[in-house]
Amino acid sequence: MRRNQSSLPDVALLAFVVLFFVFMLAPILVVVVVSFTSAGFVAFPIPGWSTKWFARIFEYRPFIDALIVSIEVAIGATLLSCLLGVPACLYLARSRAKWANAVMTFLLSPLSMPMIVIGFASLFFLSAIGIGVSFTALLIAHTVVCLPYVLRTVAGVYAGLPRSYEEAAAILGASPLAVFWHVTLPLIRPGIMAGSLFSFLTSFDNLPISYFFGSADTNTLPVVMLSYLEHQFDPSVAALSTLQLLLAVIALIVVDRIYGIDRMTVSS
Amino acid sequence: MRNLTRRSILGAGTVMGAGLLTGGFPRFAGAQAKEITVTAFGGVWEEAVRTCFVAPFEQKTGAKANVSLGGPPQWLAQVEADPQDPPVDVLIMTPDLALSAAKADLVDDFTVANLPNLAKTPQELTDSVAGKGTIFDYGVGGITFNKETVSQPPKSFHEFVDRVSKGEFVASVPSISYAVTPIMLIWAMAKALGGGVDNVDPFFEAMAKMKDNLVFWGAPNDFFNQMSSGEADVGIYFDGRTWNHYDSGATWIDFLNPEEGGSLNGVAVQKPKNADPLAWTYINEILDARNQEKFADIMNYGVTNTDVKYSEKLNGRITPWQKTAFPPYEEIAKVRNDWVDRWNREIGR
Amino acid sequence: MTEFTLPIAPRRRARPLAMRSVYLIAPAALFLLFFFVLPLADNAMRSFVDEATGAFTLARYAALLTDPFYLRIMGETVLLSAGVTVISLIIGYPVAYFLVRKAGRWSALVIFLLIAPLLTSIIMRTFGWQVLFARKGLVNNLLVNQLGLLEQPLRLTNSVEITIAALVHVLVPLMVLSITSVLQGIDRRLEESAQILGANRLRTFWEVTLPLSLDGIGTGAILVFMIANGSFVTLVLLGGGLQTLPLMIYQQFNTTRDFGMASAMSMILLVIAIACLWLQLRIVRRRGA
Repeated sequence: MRRNQSSLPDVALLAFVVLFFVFMLAPILVVVVVSFTSAGFVAFPIPGWSTKWFARIFEYRPFIDALIVSIEVAIGATLLSCLLGVPACLYLARSRAKWANAVMTFLLSPLSMPMIVIGFASLFFLSAIGIGVSFTALLIAHTVVCLPYVLRTVAGVYAGLPRSYEEAAAILGASPLAVFWHVTLPLIRPGIMAGSLFSFLTSFDNLPISYFFGSADTNTLPVVMLSYLEHQFDPSVAALSTLQLLLAVIALIVVDRIYGIDRMTVSS
Repeated sequence: MRNLTRRSILGAGTVMGAGLLTGGFPRFAGAQAKEITVTAFGGVWEEAVRTCFVAPFEQKTGAKANVSLGGPPQWLAQVEADPQDPPVDVLIMTPDLALSAAKADLVDDFTVANLPNLAKTPQELTDSVAGKGTIFDYGVGGITFNKETVSQPPKSFHEFVDRVSKGEFVASVPSISYAVTPIMLIWAMAKALGGGVDNVDPFFEAMAKMKDNLVFWGAPNDFFNQMSSGEADVGIYFDGRTWNHYDSGATWIDFLNPEEGGSLNGVAVQKPKNADPLAWTYINEILDARNQEKFADIMNYGVTNTDVKYSEKLNGRITPWQKTAFPPYEEIAKVRNDWVDRWNREIGR
Repeated sequence: MTEFTLPIAPRRRARPLAMRSVYLIAPAALFLLFFFVLPLADNAMRSFVDEATGAFTLARYAALLTDPFYLRIMGETVLLSAGVTVISLIIGYPVAYFLVRKAGRWSALVIFLLIAPLLTSIIMRTFGWQVLFARKGLVNNLLVNQLGLLEQPLRLTNSVEITIAALVHVLVPLMVLSITSVLQGIDRRLEESAQILGANRLRTFWEVTLPLSLDGIGTGAILVFMIANGSFVTLVLLGGGLQTLPLMIYQQFNTTRDFGMASAMSMILLVIAIACLWLQLRIVRRRGA
C-alpha cells in the first residue's frame, strides 16, 4: 500500500529533475557541439566535425598559461577563504549576541557589490600600498569575494547542527582542539565542501576583478578570452569551455575514487 | 580636498599594510634589464603585434618586449593607479580613453624628435588625441549584412532607418553598454540624418521609429551570434571584423560604408609618463610603413602611415580614412554623458 | 529545533569549547576591513567630491535619490533579485531533495551536471541561449515549423524572460547545493517517526523536513539574492531591456567614465543590499531559533 502511495510523487520528482537538467544543459550542449565544429567561425548547426579547435588551444600559449594562473588563484583564494572563514563561523553561527547578525551581514557584504567596483577600488588601493599589479594582489582581491561563500555555507550547516555532539565530547574530556578536529570538522564538512566549490567556481569564472590585475604573468583565463575575442571569434573559445568541463569531470572522478563524492557532501 | 581625504585613507592603509605584510613585495622597475612591457589584444591581434612590431623592435635594440594581453580600460586604470611606476610602457587605446589619459596628464607628448616616423602620420590623427599619442590603425563603423537574406542592402544610414522602420528586416545595433556606441551609432547616425554633436534629436527620432525591429548587441561577438543564428539580418558593425568573419568561412557576410560615411574608429598608441624611454623605439616601429603594411594584411584594418601601399585584397576592403566620418572626439566627450543618460531614459537598453 | 536528537540533555552551563572565543572572528573581519572596506572607503570619497572645485558635495546622491527614473531602477534591481531568488528556490528545492534522498550513487553525476553551467564561459553560454531562442533558433523552429503550434516565431531573445532564465540558470546551482548541504544533516529518523505517527508524506515534508532545512534555504536565498543584486554581465550580453543599478554602474565605468557617479551608485547599491541582507538574516534566525 505504502509503496503505491509513494511512487507517484517519486515519478513526478524524477520527471521534474529531468526537465530541470534539460534546462540546465541545453545551452551547454550547444557549446560542446560547437567546439567540435569544422567551420572557422562559431555557428550552429555545425557543417562537420573536427578537433582542430582543441589543437588551437594548445597552440596558443596564453590560453594554457592563463588556465594555470586561473587554477592557482582559484585554489589559493579558496584555501585562504577556508582558513579565514571557518573559525569565524564557529563563533558566529552559535552566538546569540545581537551584534553577531551585524557582523555576519558585514562579512557577507562583498557579495552584493558589483565586482567591477571591487576590482577598480582594489587596484587603486593595492597599488597605493605597493602591492600593485601582481599575483598577490590578484589573490587578495579574489579572496575578498570568495570568503563570503565559505562563511555563509559553513555557518548555515553549523547553525543547524545540535550542540550535543561537541558538548558530549567536551564532557568526556576532549580538548577544544580535539573536539574541533574529531567532532566539529567532520560535521561541518558538507558546508566547507559546498563553500569551497562555490569559492573555486566564483574565482575561476571571475572577469571583473581579474581584469584590473591583468599583466603578462597574472592574466587569468577569462581575461585572456575576453581580449582574444576582441578581434577574433573562433570556436577555440567553445573548445576551452569543453576542456574546462572535461577537467571538472576528471576532478570529480578522482575525488570520487579516492574520497567518495558522498562523503564529500554527506556528514559522517 | 578630494586628494587629501583619499590620500589620508591610502596613508592609513599603507601604514597598516606595512604592519601586516612585513617586508612588502619586491617590485622590479624596468631599470635593471632592457625589458619593456607592451600591450595587445589577444589572438590574431597579438600574433600580428609580435610579428610586425615586437620582432623588428627586439632585433634592432636587443631588448625584450613582453606583451600584456587585455583591453584599454584595464591598462588605463593600471596606469592611473600607479602613475609613478606604470606597469605598462606602451598603451593601446580607443581615442576616447586616449583623450582622457591626455587630459589627466598621464601620457607624454608625441614629437618627431622622439618618433621619426610620426612625420609620415597625418597631423589630424595626432591632433585628435591632443598630441599625446596618435592613431595608427582604424576600422569603420558601417553596415554589415547577410548577403543571403538581404540581397539589396541599405546603402546609407537614411535608407537603413527607413527600411528597418518599415519592418523589412530586423537590425542589430550596439547597446549603450558598449563603449564606442556614442560615436559609432549616436553621433554617426545623427550626423548622417542632419544633426551633429549639438543636435542628436534626429538619431533618437530614428531609434523610436525603428524600435520594433531592432535588437541590440552588448559585445561585438554578440553581433555575429545574432547574424549567424538568424536573429538579425543587418546591423551597424565594423569593417575589419566583418572581413575576419568572412575570411574564417562565414562567406555570407558583407560590409558597406554608408554613403554619408561611417564613423572612423581609431586605435591610438600612447606612452605613459615615467615609462621606459625604450618605448619610443617600439612606438616608432608601430608607425613604420612596412610594419604597418604587414599588420593591415593580417588584421584587415586600415593603417595610417602615408607611405603604406595596400595589397590587392585590401584595396577592395579598406576605406581611406578621409572617406570616413571623422568624429570630433573632444566635442563628443563633453556631451557624451548627456547622450547616455537620454538613451537610458528613452531607449532603455 | 535541535532538541530532537540530543543523546544527552543539553546543559546550559556546558559551554566547554574555547572554540567559542570571539577572537575567532578576527582574521576574517580584519581581512575584509583592510582589503574590502578601506578600498571602498577610498573609492567612496570620489562620490562626495566635486570634480571641478574639489569641494565636498552631496549633489550626486541628491540627483540619484530624487530622480524618479533612478528610483525606478533601484526598485527594478531589488525586484529582479527577489524574483530570481524565489524562482531559484522553487525549482531548486526539489532538485536538492532528489540529490540527497534519491540520487544515491548518481550524486556525483548530478553534482557535475549542476556545476557544468558555471564552468562554461559566460560568452559561450550566451551564445547557447541565442542558438536556442533566436528568431530562427531551435525552439522557434520546433514550435513553428516542426510542430506547427505557432504562426509567428516568438521574440524571445532580448526579452526580460530570457534574462531572468539566464540568471536563474547560473544561480540555481548555488541554491541547490546550499539546501543540499543542510538537508544531508537532517536525521531521517525524524521523518520516519512522523510517518509512523500517521503523517502522510506531504505532511511529513511540510512539518518536519522543510522547517529543518530552513538554514539551507536561508543560505541559498542570501547567496542568490546578493549575487543577482550585483550582477551585470548577463544583462549586458542578453539585453532584455532590464535596467538595474549594476548595469548603470558598469556603464559609468565603460561608457561615460564618470567614476564619481559610479561610486555614488555603488554606495546606494551597497546600502540597499545590506538592508535586504540584514532583513533576510533576521528572518532566518527567527525561524531557526
